Amino acid sequence: MRLLVIEDEKKAGEYLKKGLEESGFTVDVASNGIDGLHLALEDDYDLIVLDVMLPGIDGWAVLTRLRTKKDTPVLLLTAMDELEERVKGLELGGDDYLVKPFAFVELLARIRTLLRRGPPRDIEHMHIGDLEIDAVRRRVRRAGQRIDLTPREFSLLQLLARRRGEVLSRTQIASYVWDMNFDSDTNVVEVAIRRLRVKIDDGHDIKLIHTVRGMGYVLDEEREAS
Amino acid sequence: MARLSLSARLAITFVVITVACFSAVGFLLFEAAARRIHEQDDTNLVLATRHLRRFVAELDSPADVAAHQDRLIIGVLGDTNNALRIMDDAGHVLVERNPSRLPMANKAMVPPEQRIVSADVQSWRDADDHEIRGVSAGGRPRDGTTVTIVVARSLADRALLLSRYRRDTILALTAGMLVAVLLSYLLVRRALRPLRSMAASASAVTAHRLSTRMPADDVPAELQTLSVALNDMLGRIEDGFARVWQFTVDLAHDLRTPIGNLRGANEVALTRPRSTEEYQLLLGSNIEECDRVSRTIESVLFLARADSPQFALQRVIIDAGEELQRIADYFEGLSSEAGITVQVAANALVHADRELFRRAVSNLLSNALRYTPAGGTIAMRAMDTERGVEVSVENPGAGIPPEHMAHLFDRFYRVDRSRSDSAHSTGLGLSIVKSIMELHDGDVVAQSERQGITRFTLTFPKSSAVG
Repeated sequence: MRLLVIEDEKKAGEYLKKGLEESGFTVDVASNGIDGLHLALEDDYDLIVLDVMLPGIDGWAVLTRLRTKKDTPVLLLTAMDELEERVKGLELGGDDYLVKPFAFVELLARIRTLLRRGPPRDIEHMHIGDLEIDAVRRRVRRAGQRIDLTPREFSLLQLLARRRGEVLSRTQIASYVWDMNFDSDTNVVEVAIRRLRVKIDDGHDIKLIHTVRGMGYVLDEEREAS
Repeated sequence: MARLSLSARLAITFVVITVACFSAVGFLLFEAAARRIHEQDDTNLVLATRHLRRFVAELDSPADVAAHQDRLIIGVLGDTNNALRIMDDAGHVLVERNPSRLPMANKAMVPPEQRIVSADVQSWRDADDHEIRGVSAGGRPRDGTTVTIVVARSLADRALLLSRYRRDTILALTAGMLVAVLLSYLLVRRALRPLRSMAASASAVTAHRLSTRMPADDVPAELQTLSVALNDMLGRIEDGFARVWQFTVDLAHDLRTPIGNLRGANEVALTRPRSTEEYQLLLGSNIEECDRVSRTIESVLFLARADSPQFALQRVIIDAGEELQRIADYFEGLSSEAGITVQVAANALVHADRELFRRAVSNLLSNALRYTPAGGTIAMRAMDTERGVEVSVENPGAGIPPEHMAHLFDRFYRVDRSRSDSAHSTGLGLSIVKSIMELHDGDVVAQSERQGITRFTLTFPKSSAVG
């Protein structure tokens, strides 16, 4: 998968390239709108990450000109969290929108969603190691043992399982599981994860729920200790 | 005209009024004097003529009239402006006294038996175009013949008198007007002096000297209202500036802590090589500090946006019970770990922005959880009242000391600055609740009772209630 990052800030460009490459993408970085537009039109990218505030021609202009020729998915990055900006971005043909500062895992999740093109499949039966999740009957078993979960705990586990291997930030989790779409200054998510972990992992040698410090949580069979 | 000063405009208005009044009064007085003089002259003419007629009636004949010339003249006339002529019926002059040589026109005679009145006074003019007024009346001596008595008076002296009077009046009026102009200008200037001193005070107000106030004591009542209003406005502006200033200082202070942590931890880490685990721990901690800065920035931006008039609420009808349950549910893990029970009792519909409603109530609940001791019960309620829908969050605990009550909703105000969880709390939670309630035209009230019960009540006014 080839990505183009159009970002004028050098440090931001560097860490985005590094982070995305380590996540398995091939990444080109353009540091201004003209170069970015040129690359976007000449090459075939799977997705473009476009900063709105660019010197010379800005992100809006790049997007407008790009859309006259190509339908490459575009994820907009902006420092301004105004409703009008969002609407403008989507009207001009942007596919998604992320406000700076953002969590890298969230950017990654959005990019994956856009590339997947369509909502994640609703998997009826999921197996992660010896953990079984029956989404239809809302039942969970670990090593054949039935585990009782509250509805919220089940939603949380289901989210982690669907995105297995993907780090989910606290904000993402709060939004998906409880529909709370603001950055709360409480450790609600930590507590919920801790309680889920007691039910899922306690008494098992292989731990499935992992904390990625400072970033969020991931459900996976194997993960390097962190 | 619009550019003229208020003093000049008022002075000019006064002058115009003065001139108009003086002129009108002067004109009327002059006219009245002139008319009085004319009336008096006419009366004198009539009386003199009547007197002469009676005199003539006592004489025997026209010849007798001529013989008594001197008595007739002396009895009637004493002024060089007056003239007398008595003629017999053939037109011969019997008595003539005319020192100024007035032309004695032959006018229609009042018959001898008819009473002479003012209306019989007639008017003609001499060669110099001076008016002459006179009466011509018949008299009858004892022999039954008729004589014509003509008494006339030149008004030349009167014209002179009146023209002098007119000139004096105009002079007096002019002088009076000049004095009035000067006095009114001075008075207006004096009356407006407080206004100028207010302007001077106002121009001394700058962002750095907002404590300046208008004089309010020794100004006229009309200006006092203005003065007080301006002072109130200045007070509010000063207050606003002070708050913005305090906010900036607090914000800077609040950002300094995580940035200090970041820098310090990184510097220490770089002093010597570390294991991968140590680096990972450091980076994780760095991200947490960044999140803290982000949260503060997000909250500050939210407050700034909520203050702007363009903020658009997306009001929908919300089942308060359902929402409170959802929020309680969101905090369920946190509360049960802390050994706190959250009870929800609600039956009301609210017309509000769902996101903001959740945010406000969540902030209150997370606040309540922070101060409730283990084993305590937090009560969340929503009900329809006369004022609107009241949503309350009530928790037991130490209560809020009264000295903090007034500042609870201030930005960055923390009741206990030394609390260890300040890393989690931005100190903006309750300010955000207040802003959200202001956006809904409602309010938030905090109450702390003796038993340590603290209650925050959100009121969504009737207009935002449903039904």
